[in-house]
Amino acid sequence: MSAAELKWENIRNSLLWIALPLIIGILIAASVPKPVIGVIHLNDAIYSYTAQDMITQIHYAIDHPEIRAVVLAFDSPGGTVVDTEAVYMELTRLREKKPVVTAVNGMAASGAYYLSVNTDYIYAKPTSLVGNIGVIGYLPPAPFIFEDIISTGPYKLWGAPRDSDMRQIEMVKQGFFEAVRLGRDGKLNAGPEVIFTGQIWAGTDAVRLGIADEIGTETNAIEKAASLAKVANYEAKDLYQLSVYGSGSAYPFFIQSPDGMIMPYPNEAGTYLLYIPPLPVK
Amino acid sequence: MKKNFIFIALAALILPVVLRGLWFYRGFAQRPVISTPDYVSFSAPSAPVKSAPLNVEDVKQYSGVVLMDTIHGNQFSMSEVDSLVSDIKQRGGRVDFSSDPTLLEYQLKYASSYITLSPSLPYSVNEIRILKNFADRGGRLLVFTDATRYSLYFDYVSGNPITYGDVNAVNPLLASFGISINNDYLYNLEKNEGNFRNVFFDEFAKSELAFGLKEVALYGTHSVESPSGLILLRGAESTFSSANDANDPAQGGAAISADGNVIAFGDFTFLSSPYENYSDNAALIGNLADFALSGKQKITLNNFPFLYSGKTVQVYLSSDLSKTAEMVAALGRLQAALQTMNVTVEFVDSVPNNGDAIILGLYTPNEDLAPFIKKFDLTLEDGSEFITVPGFGDIGIYGNSILLFNATNKGNQLVLLSDSIENTILLVDTLNSGYLTGCLLQDNAAVCSSGYGGTYGSDTTSTDASGEATPLPEETVTPSG
Repeated sequence: MSAAELKWENIRNSLLWIALPLIIGILIAASVPKPVIGVIHLNDAIYSYTAQDMITQIHYAIDHPEIRAVVLAFDSPGGTVVDTEAVYMELTRLREKKPVVTAVNGMAASGAYYLSVNTDYIYAKPTSLVGNIGVIGYLPPAPFIFEDIISTGPYKLWGAPRDSDMRQIEMVKQGFFEAVRLGRDGKLNAGPEVIFTGQIWAGTDAVRLGIADEIGTETNAIEKAASLAKVANYEAKDLYQLSVYGSGSAYPFFIQSPDGMIMPYPNEAGTYLLYIPPLPVK
Repeated sequence: MKKNFIFIALAALILPVVLRGLWFYRGFAQRPVISTPDYVSFSAPSAPVKSAPLNVEDVKQYSGVVLMDTIHGNQFSMSEVDSLVSDIKQRGGRVDFSSDPTLLEYQLKYASSYITLSPSLPYSVNEIRILKNFADRGGRLLVFTDATRYSLYFDYVSGNPITYGDVNAVNPLLASFGISINNDYLYNLEKNEGNFRNVFFDEFAKSELAFGLKEVALYGTHSVESPSGLILLRGAESTFSSANDANDPAQGGAAISADGNVIAFGDFTFLSSPYENYSDNAALIGNLADFALSGKQKITLNNFPFLYSGKTVQVYLSSDLSKTAEMVAALGRLQAALQTMNVTVEFVDSVPNNGDAIILGLYTPNEDLAPFIKKFDLTLEDGSEFITVPGFGDIGIYGNSILLFNATNKGNQLVLLSDSIENTILLVDTLNSGYLTGCLLQDNAAVCSSGYGGTYGSDTTSTDASGEATPLPEETVTPSG
């Protein structure tokens, strides 16, 4: 074999045994997904529409392996009990597989805090509002009857006696308190006589009391989620854009007066994990 | 050689994958076991049951009248106090309503107690004086407030809601009795009746109101304190006031005044259904009904015309009073006036020893009236134009009549003395009017002017036999206050 032929043979072997596998390897490597930190924003009360949106995003995160962790970014006063519980339970499924970190932007009060305790870490800004752990409910009126409405029992129209409603609210409270105890196990720096008064705290106090872990932003939360998921060079994506966007529209949760003022009270009577601020908000 | 190429090829194949993997992934995230609440294990707290059944057949019977305030913007409906009203009626009591402030003093004359529930309008100085006087004479005052009752206003500038609680209305009244109610509510996060604001009380003052109680629950109560009196209901140490989120052993859910005639509650929701039947609330409500009806005012002439303890009054005319047509007519009017108060008149011909009685007579010495003259220490000398009445001094007998009142266990006696039949008739008609207008009044004696007498008296008594004018008395002593 001449030298020229040998040289050609080497080039050919190199292409065959190195370059080609390398190209194939690169092509295969491209299929290794870039890790994604999914971000779920909640900038509203928790009610049927927003809860369904959140659940859709949670399912998306569970079903897509490239999403290695999720950040919940809250600015929410909480909402209805049943919708909060629905998201809470779906969140448990997600957490069993992937880390979840909370970033409290404006507020994670009541039901929003209920969800926060079902995450691995909670960041709050120094003046974010955190806590308001408890339940509020609007008792039904004492039962009465109408001339033109016939029902089949004294509580068919009213749901329950006022007294029962009050006691059921106490039962809902037990679930909330237990969720906080379990979610913040070993982290709380104050007893139930402080934590469960329903008080809402600024982020700095929340960290001091152990109801939040650290002062930080949504970016810190994304970094923490990536750290817990053991990923690097990731990208953060808003899961709403990926999973929900354009799927529907929500109805207003809060009472809106004819002149456009949004009151901090829900449109419908019921039981809520909700923070109602002392002043009406525009 | 070929084997080496295979290894190289494999390395070249895997290397990009490994490098990309390492670029993105730095390990495997281990997930912890996620603990969530066991929702099925939670249950709604059940309503507390009575510690002892009530014996409804064994309730005491009274005949008192409870006056219920409706003139101070009271924030309650009758359905909310059905249990208390029912217990009062079950004990033979009656509930009247105070609906005209000008009649308050009059109505309190016959009431055994006065109840006010969550007033929103303050009491006037005069009303406070009347109610203080009522309680000082043995009448009972029951004051109920409620932390859930208030007027709501909005600040003009900030829009902040401002509550004006019922405590603002009652505290000036209760201050006279050493009781104050705070503008707060009590709560207990550890042990409560279904909600933190429903507080149990299991420490009781030594009082008839606490009889048979082991534990009662109040539903949204202000804290009540009385440095000079007693705290009737005291909660556990974990009972806090919303004012300072702290326990104050000097505060409770209800307090009694030092004289025992005034009770103040921070809540009245416990009177309403279904809370009336929880814990020992029903027993407490029964005790409240007993308390309201057992108030015994010290009956004096200030209670006129409600001076009689029974349903029948015996009327006796002394032998020196003849039943003229005018007198009979006046007595008929007296009978009719007493019947409007459900009091029957029975005319008798001897001085009654028992029961309620009205005895009419003249100043002239008379055996029938001698015991009363003696009992009240009256001095009436023969020929004198003055009668000495303790507390009033010398009273001119002409044109003046005297009312004497004697309250005993056997009955209450009212003695009317005048100088003439005409003035006796005038005095009876004063009684018929329901008001002792024109009378100087003390507890058990009154002097009433008929407007005729003295120098304007009858010829036979105002001048002596010689026809000379009777000298005017030097001075008529009258009480100063």
